[in-house]
Amino acid sequence: MNSKPIKEPIRKKWIWIGLVLIVLANVPWYFPEGDIYPLVFGLPYWALIILVASLVLSGYLYWVTLTQWNLVEDEEEQEQREGGAAE
Amino acid sequence: MTELKFAGLDGVIILIAYAVIMLAIGWFAGRSDKTVNNSLSNYYLAGRNLGFVALFFTLYATQYSGNTIVGYAPSAYRTGLTWLQSISFMTIIIGIYLLFAPRMYVLGKKHNFITPSDWLSHRFKSKRVTILAIFLMLWGLGNYLLEQLVAIGHAVTSLTGGTIPYQVAVVGFILVMLAYEWMGGMRAVAFTDVMQGLVLMVGIVIFLIGAIYLAGGKIGTITQSIADVDPGLVGVPDLTTSINWFSMLLLVGFGAAIYPHAVQRIFASKSERTLKKSFARMAWMPPITTGLVLFIGLIGIVVIPGLDTAGSEQLVGLLANEIAGINGFFYWIMIIFFGAIVAAIISTADSVLLSFSSIVSNDLYGKYINPDAPEKKKLMAGKIAGVVVIALLLWIAWNPPGTLYEIFVLKFELLVQVFPAFVLGIYWKKMSAKPVFWGMLLGAIVAGLMTWTGHKTVMGIHGGVIGLALNFLVAVVGSILVPSAEEDDEEVAAPALTRMPTQN
Repeated sequence: MNSKPIKEPIRKKWIWIGLVLIVLANVPWYFPEGDIYPLVFGLPYWALIILVASLVLSGYLYWVTLTQWNLVEDEEEQEQREGGAAE
Repeated sequence: MTELKFAGLDGVIILIAYAVIMLAIGWFAGRSDKTVNNSLSNYYLAGRNLGFVALFFTLYATQYSGNTIVGYAPSAYRTGLTWLQSISFMTIIIGIYLLFAPRMYVLGKKHNFITPSDWLSHRFKSKRVTILAIFLMLWGLGNYLLEQLVAIGHAVTSLTGGTIPYQVAVVGFILVMLAYEWMGGMRAVAFTDVMQGLVLMVGIVIFLIGAIYLAGGKIGTITQSIADVDPGLVGVPDLTTSINWFSMLLLVGFGAAIYPHAVQRIFASKSERTLKKSFARMAWMPPITTGLVLFIGLIGIVVIPGLDTAGSEQLVGLLANEIAGINGFFYWIMIIFFGAIVAAIISTADSVLLSFSSIVSNDLYGKYINPDAPEKKKLMAGKIAGVVVIALLLWIAWNPPGTLYEIFVLKFELLVQVFPAFVLGIYWKKMSAKPVFWGMLLGAIVAGLMTWTGHKTVMGIHGGVIGLALNFLVAVVGSILVPSAEEDDEEVAAPALTRMPTQN
């Protein structure tokens, strides 16, 4: 019962291109030095953007981990089912 | 840390309560599995059978220490919004795990790896590669453990207002830790981590609520208030700071993912599904852990302005003092919170110590000193080595060096040099032992020398990252020029997976 295809993050180039882009957005090198205003929700606009970028990073890694990684899960679960049935 | 208003007998009672709970959990963990002392994998990896709750919390409580509060709030106080980096550098660790953890989990199960060096000796079959890696890992772990020991003393002393002196505090909690670890191994460490991780999470949130209360609830105006006094703390940082930020992402990301105790949690997972779920949840922990601590540090700038570097190291104690003074409710909450800091430190220290012992048991004693010894004897060698190294580190800890954050960066510099061998070795069959050894050695020498000579960073880039780049370069170029003698290594050419496709 191999329902899902084998997936391994290292084999998917787009995952790492995406990760590098998000990491680049996570560091404020692209804003003018010393800039503070305008404040948005009480935070300097740049800090809010960095904060959002870090949440995007968390969300991206959460999603990649859950959906792009499937090596032996099916085998393990099948073994578990068979083990359970044998008892 | 400063003496606290609430310190004294109440603090002692709470600490004793925490100690008793930890001992009880350790005792039950050892009792519930009678085979715990029979084999290395039962003791060091909880029989490779950790479920989701235990695995998630042991990842969490190990990665986030008491230092995450006590050390990071002052960093936020001193560097302002630049400390937003603490969210991304803790998150990126999960991204680095994704480079190797999926395959390493399968390899670990198949070959019954106990320590990271099991993989290195399996892959490179080179004594010097394995021994150098063992040395770097023990060095990194030892340094990390030392940092935790120093931190325990500071936290307990301030909680009890000196009622429990620094030395007694450290020795007392170390005995508790040694006791439960001796009884239950990884199972005890992981189960106590559930308790310790929970109190840390709740503690941070409650501390933040107290801090917001202190600031008069006006959180919307905090950055404006900081900007009026010191605009540098909330303005966009200069380019060197941004480069340093990138460098921190690399150093912490690669370093923390390759920590021996981090790798061993991959081996200890019950199933791939459990491991995936735990890592996925961990990706959300930085915003609600280091992110909230950043916020606490920023509130500190407004509530207790004008602290110098040494003074700012006391920030959490000073804030706790103020918060405890609000009313009786916050008084008790702050006592419990300080207990949580101690618990968080212990939960990191116990994992590091366990990993240290496992390397002695399995690698040093088990591979080189007495390979034919029965597992029970190997296990005992590691346990005893753990006690000895703790005694040695205690002796060093009586004179703690530098600020906490300084030590934190130091431990990664050498440890991270194991990364190219460990990860590239999985996927690249041409990689050969000789260049891997020289890369690791040169990387460690560069990183070590830069640190010792006071050049921790060059243009914002850490010595450890520069060493790592050199390490990669030597290992890769060398392997291309001098290919491995064992090109037909079955493991790398045809991975352990029965259904692995050749290409995507």
